[in-house]
Amino acid sequence: MIEINNLVKRYGDKKAVNGISFTVNDDEVLGFLGPNGAGKSTTMNIITGYLSSTSGTVKVNGHDILEEPELAKKEIGYLPENPPLYNDMTVAEYLDFVCDLKGVSRDKRKKQLERIVSLVRISEVYNRLIGNLSKGYKQRVGIAQAMVGNPSILILDEPTVGLDPNQIIEIRKLIKSLAKSHSIIISSHILSEIQEVADRVVIINKGKVAAVDTISDLSKRLSGQSKLLLTFKGPLKEGLAKIRALPGVQSATPRLTDNTMSQLEISIVNDNSADVRTSIFYLMAKESWPILEFRSLDPSLEEVFLNITAR
Amino acid sequence: MYAIFKREFLSYFRSPVGYVAISIFSFLAGFIFYSQFAGGSVNIGSEVISLRSFFVIIVPIITMGLLAEDKKRGTEILYYTTPVSLFSVVAGKVLAAFALYAVMFLNVVIHIIVTLACGGVFGVGAVGTIIVFFFMAFMFISMGLFASAITDNQIVSAIVAFIFILITQLLSVIGDYTGTAVTSVASAIGVNSESASAVGTAIRSAISWLDPFAKTQDFRLGVFSVSALFFLLCIGILFLYMTYRVLEKKRWSQA
Repeated sequence: MIEINNLVKRYGDKKAVNGISFTVNDDEVLGFLGPNGAGKSTTMNIITGYLSSTSGTVKVNGHDILEEPELAKKEIGYLPENPPLYNDMTVAEYLDFVCDLKGVSRDKRKKQLERIVSLVRISEVYNRLIGNLSKGYKQRVGIAQAMVGNPSILILDEPTVGLDPNQIIEIRKLIKSLAKSHSIIISSHILSEIQEVADRVVIINKGKVAAVDTISDLSKRLSGQSKLLLTFKGPLKEGLAKIRALPGVQSATPRLTDNTMSQLEISIVNDNSADVRTSIFYLMAKESWPILEFRSLDPSLEEVFLNITAR
Repeated sequence: MYAIFKREFLSYFRSPVGYVAISIFSFLAGFIFYSQFAGGSVNIGSEVISLRSFFVIIVPIITMGLLAEDKKRGTEILYYTTPVSLFSVVAGKVLAAFALYAVMFLNVVIHIIVTLACGGVFGVGAVGTIIVFFFMAFMFISMGLFASAITDNQIVSAIVAFIFILITQLLSVIGDYTGTAVTSVASAIGVNSESASAVGTAIRSAISWLDPFAKTQDFRLGVFSVSALFFLLCIGILFLYMTYRVLEKKRWSQA
């Protein structure tokens, strides 16, 4: 369990983190969301003891990170934005070094490393130089490094950034499997990624907490307004006017158009009992405008912010 | 501490750095020993004293990456976020560089064995110079480590270390020049010649008091001075302490 209380980090005149407070419960995955530069990494660096806070406290399982750093750090495994890897070492040498740093005793080491290596699936590269590994493997070695010493809390700073889609899915699976026995804080600026793994999210913006919510409540908040993307073969102006006239449609804006097709972005109000999608479908059918594409648009993080801060 | 030491020491041999340093040292030591040997009179003490002039090249090579490289790679985060203390980081790094120096010194050990086998002399003066050699190595490595802590660029770190060591090696010359300069400036602005030269002499002796080479020059004669060794040790520890503070400051920085 981590209790973060009124954290402030000042750099000169600028407050990178400005009064952040939240709690991470045991065996919970907490998503830590925010746009680039919101203070995610700074906050994580403070929680792990890499940086000090200007004011405020961080308590890790009851140990203050500044007053009892060694006890607190034993509870935390940290994967920073850039995994702290030595390219000149093999994976085996590196993990052995991390065991030394974290004070894992010789007799426990072999068993623990075996477990970690099979969990993050790096056994096939175990004796290769880290410098020669792909980005995905490096990331996994970074996660393995965080797990050394059996910390009860894992802090992962953008663990999937720069990975290809297959690797992203692998890492997400890994995080889900780790969630059974660890508290995890995972940061990202991609909403869907957090949605998939996290129980609860903390959204920060400009160094402040903008919202703390469970995933389902967050989507409820967002579902007040949702967007559809429609591409059809037909005249733009006429289509626009007819769609705007449909009940439940808040607004419709053209996105793309050429001689053969038109694309519209449609905002709809969801509290309408009638499903707007049905009426759009029948409208298109009646006018004999073939639908080429029709899907809902996921809200971007920016919209989430606008939405949350507007309330 | 042992973890850091082991990693750093082995990393010298994972890159060319360790081999380059050892090769340079072996070449120099071998060359000096060979010229003595060919000349028919071997003096291990003077070989070791000659080798001291090359600290200025070898120390920057082996210390430049110690902390600068960690900063560049982002691996320094491991030192701050694991239960290891910054003190043991500094200690482990300095010991690793020192151990590399010890490995290089095996050359001289071989020369001693050859000398003894050929009926040469290995006297108490030579032992004295070897002791001084290691204390100086510690002091210069500490300076190099400090130079490595203040930047994330290995080249900058090497240049700063080079300058530190060069200044130390030239302290007596610097003292002479500064003394003379101060005397002439003082007389030029109208101070009477007696006090002008007194000020100059005071400054010269103050600067040369710091000269570790002058302090330890009697060791070669077998005259050991604990206070001189203590002086070298203190300078080394001072630089280690400053290194420690630089690492700690990183965490508290608000700029």
